[in-house]
Amino acid sequence: MTQWKERLRVFLFPPETDVWLGLLRIGLGLQVLFYALSLRADWNYLFAGPGEGLIGRALPEALLSTESPLIPRLDWLVMLTTRIGFSESTALSIVWWVLLFAGCCLLIGFFSRASAILAWFVHLCAAESGGFISYGVDNFMTIGLFYLMLSPLPDRYSLDHRWRKLRSKNPHLLGFFRRVLQVHLCLIYFFGGVAKCLGSGWWDGSNLWRALIRPPFNLIAPEILIRLKYMFPVAGIAICLLEISYPVFIWNRKTRGIWLMCICAMHAAIGLTMGMYLFAFIMIVLNTAAFGPDLGLAPSEKLVRATLS
Amino acid sequence: MLRQQRVLLAWFVLHFVLIITISCRDIVWLVAHKLTILPAPFRAAAQKVEPIAANVLGDKLSTSNPFRRALLTYLHIAGIDRGYGYFAPNVPAGYKIVFELHYPDGRVEYELPAVNSGAAGLRVATLLDEIGRTRYDPLREYIIKTLAASIWRKHPGVKTVRAVFGLLNLPTPAEFEHGKRESYDFLYAYDFSRAEEPAKTENH
Repeated sequence: MTQWKERLRVFLFPPETDVWLGLLRIGLGLQVLFYALSLRADWNYLFAGPGEGLIGRALPEALLSTESPLIPRLDWLVMLTTRIGFSESTALSIVWWVLLFAGCCLLIGFFSRASAILAWFVHLCAAESGGFISYGVDNFMTIGLFYLMLSPLPDRYSLDHRWRKLRSKNPHLLGFFRRVLQVHLCLIYFFGGVAKCLGSGWWDGSNLWRALIRPPFNLIAPEILIRLKYMFPVAGIAICLLEISYPVFIWNRKTRGIWLMCICAMHAAIGLTMGMYLFAFIMIVLNTAAFGPDLGLAPSEKLVRATLS
Repeated sequence: MLRQQRVLLAWFVLHFVLIITISCRDIVWLVAHKLTILPAPFRAAAQKVEPIAANVLGDKLSTSNPFRRALLTYLHIAGIDRGYGYFAPNVPAGYKIVFELHYPDGRVEYELPAVNSGAAGLRVATLLDEIGRTRYDPLREYIIKTLAASIWRKHPGVKTVRAVFGLLNLPTPAEFEHGKRESYDFLYAYDFSRAEEPAKTENH
């Protein structure tokens, strides 16, 4: 029992450098910026109050209240801002600027922890109030930002480290939160892979064809895609196997590089061929932060790790 | 173990038990609802297992139960409130909504929900999927009515709006080679007029 406990402790709390945390912070900073900028023109239209915008946020927020009144939502921020005297439209614009600001601060690592909390909270409010218009990218951004704000910031690449001389003190805590991200990614791909394996369309390739010709993902003309029809079954099966075997091969040092490269290539392909750029980017960021730093360690990095061990 | 490590370990276990339970629940739901390639005995087993996951996640508790509320709040703030079966087990059907704008002079125009960017366009597609998936008619009608209202604000001179919601049929590669292209099946139509009258609905 004691040996088992010790093994668990060694697995969950390995001494770790903050390289992965730097990658995660910079990646999520960029992601928050891209997210905010991509929705700039439609922000007020998508998240408007009752009687305005596309569908407004009233219904999703009402449904959210039936689940729990404590789940963050845009209405809280809008109410806070309108009480000062701003209009609803201005309040929404302010929220957008706050998100952009939080993204910029995250990117450069200025007040890293506060920026991570701010970005997580504002994005979460938008994702929850969006309700019917939220999709996978919002989930993964929430996951990433949630882990980032809990992790022992700042990292060595941040302004906090260089200018304010703040240090991330606990290498075991760094190791723990990296493990959390790693295990979570393994579960994401494993269950995603299992669910895909249960559908006939991934074995005969028809799901890939459908995904690529279905609006609004139909960036490539079907006349071009049809020439690749013999590749669809192979690619469909490859995706299933890649995802379901991710938790096995990503831990093995010999296969980690190839699996990480394949999974990032898969996400890049999804982004480029289906227009899901934000989704692709967040997945690449999470994967790179979780499993990337161990690949091709620089001699200085090896030294730091050896010292920490 | 240090005290901090024990606390983190407890959180780790709880966090991942929730993630695994939610992911299993989603897969079991797919199997129980005959959406997978698994044969009938698996479906029967899945139907038996479904309530277990529901119990763990407090689904059977009253909506005002503090434990349920606390749990749901945590799931949402951590971003773990849903599983990871994207485009699984199969790529779902797409949907389309078209608004027929009827002017007082008898003119008819057609309009689609429009946004300014591709990123927002993906979100509109998600919204249409939600409308198509919901089995609760009043909710579907409410969302479509709200969408119609957004169209109305752009065209204040319109007398009535007819919202036609359809299911997208995608051809298989073989069908595509034989000349078949995407088509739409009529699902629902709603007529809205200026006065606050309830919408007249037509189903397929």
